Amino acid sequence: MSFFRRLIDFFTLGSDRPFARLLAYYTGLALLVVVVFQFVPVVPRLLLGAHASTVTRAGQLLQDGLTGARSPNPTLDELSHLELAFATTLIMLTTLALMLPVSWVFMSARRTRDFNQSVVQALIFLPVVVAGIVLVVQTSLALAFSLAGIVAGLRFRTTLKDVRDTVYIFLGIGVGLAAGVQSPVVAAVVSVTFNFVVLLAWRYDFGRNVLEPTASSQWTGPLGDLAVAKNGNGDVPDRDLVLALTPEKAQALTERFNRVSAILGSNGKKSRFNAIVSITTNGPNQAQRQVERVLEKATKRWKLDEVITNTGKPSQLFYLVRSRKSSSRDALLTAIRASAGDTIATAEMEISTALAKESGEKREERKEKERA
Amino acid sequence: MTRLRRAAAGLLAVWAGLACRPAQGGELTGKERLEVTARASRLETALASPDSSDTRGAAIARWILPETLREISGLALTADGRLLTVGDERGKVFEVDYRRGVMVKTFTLGHPAVHGDFEAITVVGDTVFLLASDGVLYEFPEGADGEAVPYTIHDTGLARQCEFEGMAFDPTIHSLLLACKKVHDKALQQSLLIYRWRLQPGRDPTLSQLAVPLKLVIGTNGWDGLHPSDITIDPFTGNYVMIASREKALIAITPAGDVVFARPLQGVHDQGEGVAITKDSILIVSDERVTGPAVITLYRWP
Repeated sequence: MSFFRRLIDFFTLGSDRPFARLLAYYTGLALLVVVVFQFVPVVPRLLLGAHASTVTRAGQLLQDGLTGARSPNPTLDELSHLELAFATTLIMLTTLALMLPVSWVFMSARRTRDFNQSVVQALIFLPVVVAGIVLVVQTSLALAFSLAGIVAGLRFRTTLKDVRDTVYIFLGIGVGLAAGVQSPVVAAVVSVTFNFVVLLAWRYDFGRNVLEPTASSQWTGPLGDLAVAKNGNGDVPDRDLVLALTPEKAQALTERFNRVSAILGSNGKKSRFNAIVSITTNGPNQAQRQVERVLEKATKRWKLDEVITNTGKPSQLFYLVRSRKSSSRDALLTAIRASAGDTIATAEMEISTALAKESGEKREERKEKERA
Repeated sequence: MTRLRRAAAGLLAVWAGLACRPAQGGELTGKERLEVTARASRLETALASPDSSDTRGAAIARWILPETLREISGLALTADGRLLTVGDERGKVFEVDYRRGVMVKTFTLGHPAVHGDFEAITVVGDTVFLLASDGVLYEFPEGADGEAVPYTIHDTGLARQCEFEGMAFDPTIHSLLLACKKVHDKALQQSLLIYRWRLQPGRDPTLSQLAVPLKLVIGTNGWDGLHPSDITIDPFTGNYVMIASREKALIAITPAGDVVFARPLQGVHDQGEGVAITKDSILIVSDERVTGPAVITLYRWP
């Protein structure tokens, strides 16, 4: 498995993006198939059977049927035992090669990590079994009826957690069927299309209810309240909401909370930083160098607070900064974007509004005291 | 390193593209050219050698057809002796060099190729006709390799009379011969039925029929019935020669309807669907794919 990983790393230049890795896998597989078909002519004959030559071209030499030669593309019935064993192995390997990326996508393209390992393994085994059964049944009506009888005797009662898991199982059956009837092209197209569609849907969160608030909008209010908490400790505004968090989200909230504290300062001391610069990027290392060069020039002080590396989505860099009075928020962001160019996706300065609100409230308090 | 990898990936892609490039039409490798020459030579030798009891009825050549012709349905010879054939489901015509075993060209009726239950093909001068099982005729010119040719449809209106499976052109009466495989008309069910569709330039075609009592045709062969699957004209006698795939029979009758012979078809044939007789004394029989692949088999004639 590590060999495959290294191979994919080689082609994807070490990228963690699932699109690139999947593309590299399928490209590698296609190249392998082309090489094998080119140099081992028996493989397409055995793997594709009667589907091997559906194209007829002018100048094609027909096989001589009097010299004892068989059909150039025999059906499974016409193969010798050794050829049949080889053909079956090829079909099984094809099924495995096409289902492996499906299992990767199944494990990766989901919001939570609580998938069932047995489903992942079933995705690998099931198509192999289905292909084997189809190879046995072929076009025999009698065998098909026998199979139906046997299957009726077995009882599967498995409730899958997610409806998408059922779709994966259906896909496995489909790929197994296609490989079993010696149509690996259909199996390959189904596998490729399915994987990329699933990745796209996952990447863009397709189908999300627009009325459902995003994580960002959910936390804007509570964090704003935390930011203006007068004692600096910041009471949690919605206890139930926090209790409903997963540990990962609670951890993220804690880190966020600490960042806010660092800006506001504690125990009445003047804060060392007055803003958070958040950067989203697909190349965190390169972006970090570019952004820090700008921060060095345009801010009084800065500190890299956190780097969140995401797989398949842009990574995030968080900086605590103390901006210069001479340098406005827009000027800083413009300088960052100009310097980093395409290496960053977005650049934002946060909390400045909360601080403005806080200083506004302080000013009001001072005026009231003066009036009194 | 990155550039090296990209260059390697680019080279691989170019190589894959070249490897996947389809072979150009008409191209034969040197080895194939030698094989073709040897085949033609073998056929000449077989035709020239004196007929003996050992070789009588034996095939002199057999060509295994590609998967696209697994349901080959009819055979026809052009005026200059080229062999045309058609598959069962699509209006795609193939020219096969029967002497050398080479696919010469393919062309389609329309683009995409028209679908139908095509059962027979014949050639009238420069025009080619396809016959569907319901008696509908498709008329079109012969096309070049890869060409899509326009076609005209003629309905003979005989769908109720019988199910057709064979067609030939009789130049002496300038008529298409449409052989019935299954007769629907009860009054004629005990006959071998052939309709004649007389082509008259500038006028509507006229229809006539030739019915030969089945018992006269079957004779002592013991067949339950007779279901001709193709018909052709013997260029030496002008007789109508038919094959019947179900009965595995070869029958010859005169244009007047007298039975010349009715005998079992020589050789092994899964499902003989087409028959043609060349001017250089070769009987060609085409078989659909059943237990073995679809083939064209050549015999001496007569």
